[in-house]
Amino acid sequence: MKRFLPLLLLFFFAGASLLHASDVPTVSKDELKAQLDTGTIVLDVRSGRDWSSSEFKIKGAIRASGDDIGKWSKDYKKDQKLVLYCA
Amino acid sequence: MKSPILLSLALGCGWLFSPEVLVITGNSAGNLGLLAIPFLALAAFLFSTCGKTINSVQLESERNNELQILQQSIGAIPAASLTLAACFPLLILAATALLVTSGYTFNEVFLYWFPNFGFAFLLLGLLTLVQFLPMKLLLRVQLFCVSLAGGGILILALYGSGTSVIPLSALLHMPEPLSQAAFSSTMLLFLFVGSNLFHGQQGRCSLVPRLAFFVFALWMFASLSHVNPERLASSTIPYMTASRRILGDTGRQIMGVVVISGSCAAVIGLTLLCREKLTDLVQALMAPGFLAKGDGRWVLPPLVAIATGICMATGLAGDEILETLLRSALLLWLLYYSAVSLAAIHVLRKEQQTVSLPARVAPLLLFAGLLAVLLTNPQRSEMFVIIVCLLVASSALAALWFFINSERKETP
Repeated sequence: MKRFLPLLLLFFFAGASLLHASDVPTVSKDELKAQLDTGTIVLDVRSGRDWSSSEFKIKGAIRASGDDIGKWSKDYKKDQKLVLYCA
Repeated sequence: MKSPILLSLALGCGWLFSPEVLVITGNSAGNLGLLAIPFLALAAFLFSTCGKTINSVQLESERNNELQILQQSIGAIPAASLTLAACFPLLILAATALLVTSGYTFNEVFLYWFPNFGFAFLLLGLLTLVQFLPMKLLLRVQLFCVSLAGGGILILALYGSGTSVIPLSALLHMPEPLSQAAFSSTMLLFLFVGSNLFHGQQGRCSLVPRLAFFVFALWMFASLSHVNPERLASSTIPYMTASRRILGDTGRQIMGVVVISGSCAAVIGLTLLCREKLTDLVQALMAPGFLAKGDGRWVLPPLVAIATGICMATGLAGDEILETLLRSALLLWLLYYSAVSLAAIHVLRKEQQTVSLPARVAPLLLFAGLLAVLLTNPQRSEMFVIIVCLLVASSALAALWFFINSERKETP
């Protein structure tokens, strides 16, 4: 059992990291840059350490809580393009 | 590891070079200006004085660990519960916070395409595997991480101090508001978590606090010489802001190495500290024997890894509550350290040995600092509830084991 324990743990963490690396729809840096002049609003929905540990904060981005989407979504028009910065 | 100085540094410097400590020093330098340096000296003095008192009890009597010192003063169950509450929540919460920070640093400084969470999980797996190594090898890994982190800070601090862009007169400002300054000064007590409580450090308990003072005084001066105090005080990553200003992109990369190796050193160091405290508990028959199997390497590290993995996977790092939980765990650790110091004085006086005035005052000042951190924190009521809950839970665990153990002893 002692021999297999490190191996089991390695598989568990490797699996967990692959899970988090799975593809999610994203917008590239350049695409976003081009859209900023067209009225696209960037909402920084990172919270806690996700926000505080990050060096990158987009200029002009509005901080919003992902949990309060029902509240702040009413502040924007339905045809307005919103980009959520979450990780 | 043969050299006692290297052993002492490897064990005691783990937490010292973690990003958490770098945030505290950066924010304190921003809030207090150069006044932060005398406060840092006071904190280092308090810890080395308390360390010496605890050490003198360990050397002069048959009690060779803090648990036995505590047990003699406050009784077995309170001693066991305080040890449990102070060490284990801190390890899990600090590991969660530090690994997530390392993930972001790796992603933003070194490899954009590598997912930050993926890196945090890989690092957690690696640090767990490292715990299965023989102690000699594990201490070498720890010394490597500590040297990498300490060396990086020292390079940036020395270069930054020599290339000051802000005049010295501008750094000598009176802090405002004073309440913020008071909060900052007490936070400096958190720099020394686990710095001189390892068994292998006996006789060298003031080495790490002295080294910490030297390195961080220089780092504070370098940071203040390049970044304006308001920016340092309000930044969530003052270490990155300062290193970028000091050495540009190279500075960022050096700091990136410091953050990752400092996080590894902190997690390894705190795990080793918990393994040691767990072994003490088992030897005193205050915890089940299987927990200390193989020097505590087979049960505790996997359990901590699973708990940390769950905390990260459930998004605790993205929740503001993590900061409150971590501060509460740090306060519990400070409470534990003050209690051990006070218990050591109690033992010394009982044995009719002279205790110097600084040795008597130091734990009281630590306790006052603890109260100041708690009372000046905006989340004080939540923190108070968390501390009480952790103490109650650990007391229940300790009492339950005592009950089971006494039943076993009575069974013929």
